[in-house]
Amino acid sequence: MTEPAIFYNEVNERQAVFNRRAVVMGGLATLGLTALGARLVQLQIIENSRYTTLSASNQYNFRVVPPPRGLILDRNGVALASNRPSFRLLLLKDEVVDPAATLDAASQLIPISAQHRREVLRDIDEGPKFIPVAIADDLSWEEFARINVRNPELPGLQADMNEIRVYPYGGAFAHVIGYVSKVTAAELKAQGPNPDPLLLNPGFRIGQQGVEKALDQQLRGKAGGKKVEVNAKGRVVKEDPAGDIRPVPGEPVVLNLDADIQNRALEVFGEESGAAVMMDCKTGEVLCLMSAPSFDANQFVKGVPQAVYQELANYERKPLFNKALTANYPPGSTFKTMVALTALENGVPPSRTYTCAGSWSWGGRVWHCDKAHGTLDLKGGIAQSCDIYFYQLALSLGPDPIAKIARMFGLGGTFNILIPGQKPGLIPDTAYKAKNFPNDPVWHPGETPSMGIGQGYVSVNALQLCVMCSRIANGQRALQPKLIHSVGGVIQGLPAPEPDLAVDPAHLAFIRDAMAAVVTSGTAAGVPKLDLGPIAWAGKTGTAQAHSYAGGRGAHGATGAWADRDHSWFIAFAPADDPRYAMSALVEHGGFGAEAAAPRAREIMRVALLKDPIVRARIEQPIPLQNAPAQPPAATARPAAQPPAAPSTPAAQPT
Amino acid sequence: MTASALTRPGERDRLIVKLGEIDWRLTAVLCLLAGAGTLMLYSIAGGHWNPWAAQHVALFSVFLLLMIALAVTDLRVWFVVAYPTYVVGLLLLMAVMVVGHSALGAARWLKIGPIHLQPSEIMKIGLVLALARFYHGISAKEAQLSWKLLFPVAMIAAPVALVLKQPDLGTGILLAATGLLIMMLAGLSLRLILAGTAAAAVATPAFFYLVLKGHLLKGYQATRFMTFIKPDADPSGAGYHILQAKIALGSGGILGRGYGLGSQSQLNFLPEKQTDFIFATLAEEFGFLGCVSILVLYAAAILIAIRIAATSHSHFGRLSAAGVTATFALYVLINGAMVMGLAPVVGVPMPLLSFGGTVMLTVMVGFGLVQSVRVHRYTEVARATGALV
Repeated sequence: MTEPAIFYNEVNERQAVFNRRAVVMGGLATLGLTALGARLVQLQIIENSRYTTLSASNQYNFRVVPPPRGLILDRNGVALASNRPSFRLLLLKDEVVDPAATLDAASQLIPISAQHRREVLRDIDEGPKFIPVAIADDLSWEEFARINVRNPELPGLQADMNEIRVYPYGGAFAHVIGYVSKVTAAELKAQGPNPDPLLLNPGFRIGQQGVEKALDQQLRGKAGGKKVEVNAKGRVVKEDPAGDIRPVPGEPVVLNLDADIQNRALEVFGEESGAAVMMDCKTGEVLCLMSAPSFDANQFVKGVPQAVYQELANYERKPLFNKALTANYPPGSTFKTMVALTALENGVPPSRTYTCAGSWSWGGRVWHCDKAHGTLDLKGGIAQSCDIYFYQLALSLGPDPIAKIARMFGLGGTFNILIPGQKPGLIPDTAYKAKNFPNDPVWHPGETPSMGIGQGYVSVNALQLCVMCSRIANGQRALQPKLIHSVGGVIQGLPAPEPDLAVDPAHLAFIRDAMAAVVTSGTAAGVPKLDLGPIAWAGKTGTAQAHSYAGGRGAHGATGAWADRDHSWFIAFAPADDPRYAMSALVEHGGFGAEAAAPRAREIMRVALLKDPIVRARIEQPIPLQNAPAQPPAATARPAAQPPAAPSTPAAQPT
Repeated sequence: MTASALTRPGERDRLIVKLGEIDWRLTAVLCLLAGAGTLMLYSIAGGHWNPWAAQHVALFSVFLLLMIALAVTDLRVWFVVAYPTYVVGLLLLMAVMVVGHSALGAARWLKIGPIHLQPSEIMKIGLVLALARFYHGISAKEAQLSWKLLFPVAMIAAPVALVLKQPDLGTGILLAATGLLIMMLAGLSLRLILAGTAAAAVATPAFFYLVLKGHLLKGYQATRFMTFIKPDADPSGAGYHILQAKIALGSGGILGRGYGLGSQSQLNFLPEKQTDFIFATLAEEFGFLGCVSILVLYAAAILIAIRIAATSHSHFGRLSAAGVTATFALYVLINGAMVMGLAPVVGVPMPLLSFGGTVMLTVMVGFGLVQSVRVHRYTEVARATGALV
């Protein structure tokens, strides 16, 4: 085939243009590929380490391994809160399409109540997608085995073992220790946008109230991690034990409480409502901080059923309430110790007498006393708890000096015991009146007699009265109550010894002497003796009017409906000659102090005394054998003549 | 020697001569690329031939034979079927509008019995053939700037509009870009090219602005575009693809993490790992050296094909081979840029590497055409009729 020349030329021209441009195109393509190569240099060589890290964070994941929660121990190492293993059944939300059907499958293997089923479905709805939900705790071994055998046909269900908080003494420490419970949605929200992943763990429990709440961070420990390789859906492909991070267990918390004393306290209160607080009046260690009636903290760990909670919340004796710290009551006659001390400090001689005829007319009204006590001096006034004596004594002193002494002894104050919930109550004075009663800012003399017998505006709690009693018994130092001994082995609160009380020790000795007379010949003379040989105790009763008797509602003592009766107080220390233990006991609406509170205080005090080796040695003095050389008593017993004001000796720790 | 044989009409029509004239270097490069794809698909499946590697290698073998068969097909046959192919492709694209099957919200498929037909793939070849045939028939002057250029513009615009309507942004871009490149290669006025480039430089910011304002692009395309601009904004959402691809690439380093050891692809963090993002898988397991080797192979294929185009004696042969090469190069560049986070994710696979029969068929048919251009480089093609000489 031949072609015309002109034709050929034109073709040639088209070819020339094409060839030039084809070269440009080839060049551009090469340039483009080179640009890709340059980008690869940037990504694969320059930024390699960054993407390697990102790749590893994709590939590896740490599954939270919860740490065991720290133990809470009493002063002798007795566990008050510990952990026990539990088999549980989890529903893995990211693998379950139809939770209801999965629950049906699960109910073939273990019983699931309709109520519980609703709760679980609600949890599934509310929680984050990737967090499993616990369907059941505390499976039996048979149930656990049954689930594991059938696991392959139960997608989205997984049985494993975790730890559950356990309170071996149930209710005795529920108010002090508090309890742990599921993290609520509100609590989770309060943690901000990135909560500690531990909080999302289905078995995790957060401290509520008491020590569990106050020291939650220390008790919680640090979560460990199980290093796993996951795919893009988050499903574990492989485990890598070498890369695991071990959890750090929570720190153990040692309290100064003594489980024996506290258990006995709850026991003797029975169904009564009230509180008992005991301190070592040489060190300030709190040996007992009990509120009755109580509740089983273990119920709250798994989630208390609504009906049970309602019953607890609605019961008139308020078991959920810590009456030792949060409830304030008029101290009644226990407050007379403070009035008497104020009198001594202000130069009133102990020999001052007032005459009680059973009633006293003053200020246009009649003031009553339990009976006609006759003429009494200060000691007799305390021992017999004569109201008419103290109406007049308080009137001669005025409210401000009394308030000053009362506050010095801890009334109306709060203490650094680390657990939440203390209510200070009130010690009134003229300044209080001026500030809080703008319509009637003047303190009327007629308000002083009531204050003199611990009524009127005066309100305190059991811990304050125990502190007051321990300061009287110590005789020198302004003791601070110390509830927590150590956290993670670190001794808590060992500041310089408390400052001395700004009162004459001789005046405190007088008060102690008068309190000893209360139990020998005074208002508590009818209370059974300690029956511990040479060991005696001293105390002060209080019968606090809960409200006005106007309109025939209630009467002095334990008459009328429960809620109308007087509160029964007793403060005590022992041994009377060398005080070691000081306590306060309150029986709410218990009637007379000597009838309800004092006998219970006796039981509690006896436990403390009998556990004290020094006291035991004094009680169990061997009788010298007839033919043997007589041993001087002082050789086996602690010298009883030691002045009570002497600083404590470390050897005198109860064990 | 061979060249002289090819110049003799009687001699060059013998099958054995034609087979000898196939560019075996190009064929080898294509086989290497498909082999690399098979290797990666085997790895992604966790060291199994199923579900991808076996099918990939089987399809490639079939298509390789098809390519050889097409290579020995007379270039004048290609010339004859050029317009019909284009028209059929256009009709099928219209049909897809009416009765197409949708995947991922876009109607792209026609189902004829057991065959799933994607008309836009036919159009990739059809458009190249039709444009080459058109330019074959006009003079250099006319190709530079004349009213006749309205024909190629319309020929490009029609399928592009139909494809964008599906919507398939990736194919639309590919068709438009290929068409424009053929127009330029055919001799479009340089002044016009420069003016067009300048206009594009102005239009691009305007385009960005309109997209950002929420006009112009449809739902997922707008999202992809935004994602391309700011991929880190939502790493688990729309930016996931790009971010995971970059992690796979970057963590590969120089030598890669080892065959079968790429955690991004093996653990499914990398989306579309066997199709559009297979290059990221390769980058993760074989590193920079592996990537550069693959890019060199692509460069080799492109340059060999361009050389084939340049050595053709017919304008039809030149333009059709160059058009196929342009499509192929655009595939590689767009996919590469997309995987490396330099371009938005528009759903363009890496030819021969990515799993997927449709695109592989298109590419191998295209290279059949390129090979045919080489085999028939001395064949004269008549201007208008295309009658076999």
